[in-house]
Amino acid sequence: MILEKDVVVIGAGPAGLAASIEAAKAGAGVLLVDLNLKAGGQLFKQIHKFFGSRAHYSGTRGYDIGRKLVREAESLKVDVWLQSTAVGVFPGNKVGIERILDGGVKKLYTVHGKAVIIATGASENAVCFKGWTRPGVMGAGAAQTMVNVNHVRPGKKIVMLGSGNVGLIVSYQLMQAGCDVLALVEAAPKIGGYAVHAAKISRAGVPIITSHTIVEALGDEKGTVRGAVIAKVDSHFQPISGTERTIECDTIAIAAGLRPVVDLTRLMNCASVFEPVFGGFIPLHNTDMETSVKGIYVAGDSTGVEEASVAMEEGRIAGTAAAQSLGYLSAAEAGKTKKLLWERVNSLRSGPFGERRLTAEKNLLEHFREEIREPQPEIMIGGLAHGAD
Amino acid sequence: MIYDVTVIGAGAIGTSVAYHLCKKGFSVALIDRGDIASGSSSHCDAVALISDKAPGLDTKMGDASIRHYRELAESFSYDFEYDRKGCLYVCETEEELAAASSYAKRQAADGYDMKIVDAKTMREMEPYLADDLLGGIWTPGDIAVCPYKVCFAFVEEGKKLGLKVYPYTHISRIRLSANRMVEAVETDAGDILTKRVINCAGVWAPDVGKLVGLDIPIQPRKGMNLISEQTKRIVWHKVMEFGYMMSKFESINFRRNVSSLVEEYNVAFNIEYTKADNILLGGYRGFRGFDVRSELEAMQAIAERGIRFYPCLKGINCIRSYAGVRPYVKDHLPVVSAVDEVPGFYIAAGHEGDGICLSPITGKLMAQLVAGETTDFDIRRLRFSRFTEAQRTA
Repeated sequence: MILEKDVVVIGAGPAGLAASIEAAKAGAGVLLVDLNLKAGGQLFKQIHKFFGSRAHYSGTRGYDIGRKLVREAESLKVDVWLQSTAVGVFPGNKVGIERILDGGVKKLYTVHGKAVIIATGASENAVCFKGWTRPGVMGAGAAQTMVNVNHVRPGKKIVMLGSGNVGLIVSYQLMQAGCDVLALVEAAPKIGGYAVHAAKISRAGVPIITSHTIVEALGDEKGTVRGAVIAKVDSHFQPISGTERTIECDTIAIAAGLRPVVDLTRLMNCASVFEPVFGGFIPLHNTDMETSVKGIYVAGDSTGVEEASVAMEEGRIAGTAAAQSLGYLSAAEAGKTKKLLWERVNSLRSGPFGERRLTAEKNLLEHFREEIREPQPEIMIGGLAHGAD
Repeated sequence: MIYDVTVIGAGAIGTSVAYHLCKKGFSVALIDRGDIASGSSSHCDAVALISDKAPGLDTKMGDASIRHYRELAESFSYDFEYDRKGCLYVCETEEELAAASSYAKRQAADGYDMKIVDAKTMREMEPYLADDLLGGIWTPGDIAVCPYKVCFAFVEEGKKLGLKVYPYTHISRIRLSANRMVEAVETDAGDILTKRVINCAGVWAPDVGKLVGLDIPIQPRKGMNLISEQTKRIVWHKVMEFGYMMSKFESINFRRNVSSLVEEYNVAFNIEYTKADNILLGGYRGFRGFDVRSELEAMQAIAERGIRFYPCLKGINCIRSYAGVRPYVKDHLPVVSAVDEVPGFYIAAGHEGDGICLSPITGKLMAQLVAGETTDFDIRRLRFSRFTEAQRTA
């Protein structure tokens, strides 16, 4: 049996929640699915206050924004399916959803969405040094989830690899949770993230060792991490033999950036490009956040890794455009909203990092206008090709 | 230099044809617009069977090919995972068992090692099979191979004999001389001068045919499989339902007691283990153009049919599904033939689901054809001219 919905939103992080809220507000029936126990995505581990303007929840902590969005979605009667994994998007905008029901029983549903908004976020990049699969080596994001969401320390003595904002902030939060951060190792000659975050952890006495990398995770008799071997790197980021030294630790956290999760848009053959500024391969989209395939929208990190505030605005644009395409909003109403939202997105893309993203986004939109022009309808299936049989 | 032969398409058929031509001493270029085995030959299942062939030429070619696989496995240094796992066809009803018996009898009379096994023997061979099945056909000589490794094996062994490979090379034109003889293949890597061209492009063979003004009636037919997580061994042979015959030869028409979903997607159960301990579960065939995206309902239908025969599959996770297109010809026979209208142009394509099975024998026969030798057996029924003759009679 196939269930029918106006809009199916995949991923209940900031982008997916915002998209659901906008579409539901306009009157569309929305199904929001997420594989986790709770909606809110990464917002619930963001215990710090947001920067920026009032419109972007400045001064509010991430988890409070998450709570607010979840409440709003619930009050708008968004149908939220948790512990539900979108296993694929199939020809004809059909979303396969494996849902865990009471008692742990798994059931597969097929939901046809007149519009499908893909907001699957990002995943962490790995660094493949010797021993990188040992228990005790993990992504910095995973370590953050452990302390901030599950209130479990990943270990006692931690070495962090990568000094971008994630590496810096998570190091600080691990210390707040009672872990000992022994060193922050950075392959580049200088710190990647904001000076304000770096200063905080330097003041707390954590050495930030630049121009170094981890070459090996040492294991104890059970194979669990007992130390990190670090070495100095040359100007091509190659470890220099003879400079190795060992830091005894039980956990290695890797903060080597994020990449968009694009499996679902790839399944739908959405046109994609490689854009390092946004973290890798991403689906192209127009100013409605619609991909090259008609009715398939994207929002948030799955279309380029940025901040939660950008993800929310992109979600709102996608939700508004999807509602408009289904006739819930007039072109004039939707146009006004989308214009305002794009202005807000662009205002978030300022500063040296933001400028690069602003330029990259402009190029991507132009690429779409010139090469894709209009989102194309689904490849027709069901009919016999060339009249066979 | 001028090549003796240029083979277009580096799948199971093209690589075998190229290898067998090298073996005969021809200078050979092998071209593909992608990598080796990047089309149907890496989006299929992994068996070579005689037990799914129609009696007669079909079985004869299958048998010769399987024998040839064995020789190749022994002589090649490249391992393509030759595995003589045997094939078991299982029957659900008395009616199926009766049809299976007469089929097996006919094949045995032709000299093939094929026999009926009763329910008890079958369950000893495959203890996880559903316990209500009545019996089946056992063909011990049927084999499995890794399809893409077969292609790589032919290429690597061919290279030892001087084979030149042009991957990621796009053809813009096939140049003919004034008297319509093949002269050169024009590509984005430059002109390849050649005396002959062999079109081994499978489902894409019609595109290559167009370059010399031919209309080759091959159509893409989609096939889909599921892959399970790695699991303990629950299956020891290739196992299929006798109803599989139905989806292959529409002429044999059994009414199966199946759900509307299984019926709609024309799903026929078949299962095999892989070397990596995953299970490959099939299958469905349908006409969807070149769209190889997985279809959720087809996946569900395949799983449903699989669980009917192996109830324990219910507790095993599916980790992936994949689909590919098979080169379908309406009369279910491949084309292995010269083309009278264009001297020097040959076709070896249209094997539908039998390309992996018939790869070695097709290469051998084509090399004999090109060398002007007598072919191992009469392949007049595989001639390209059968289509134009059929048109004329119509």
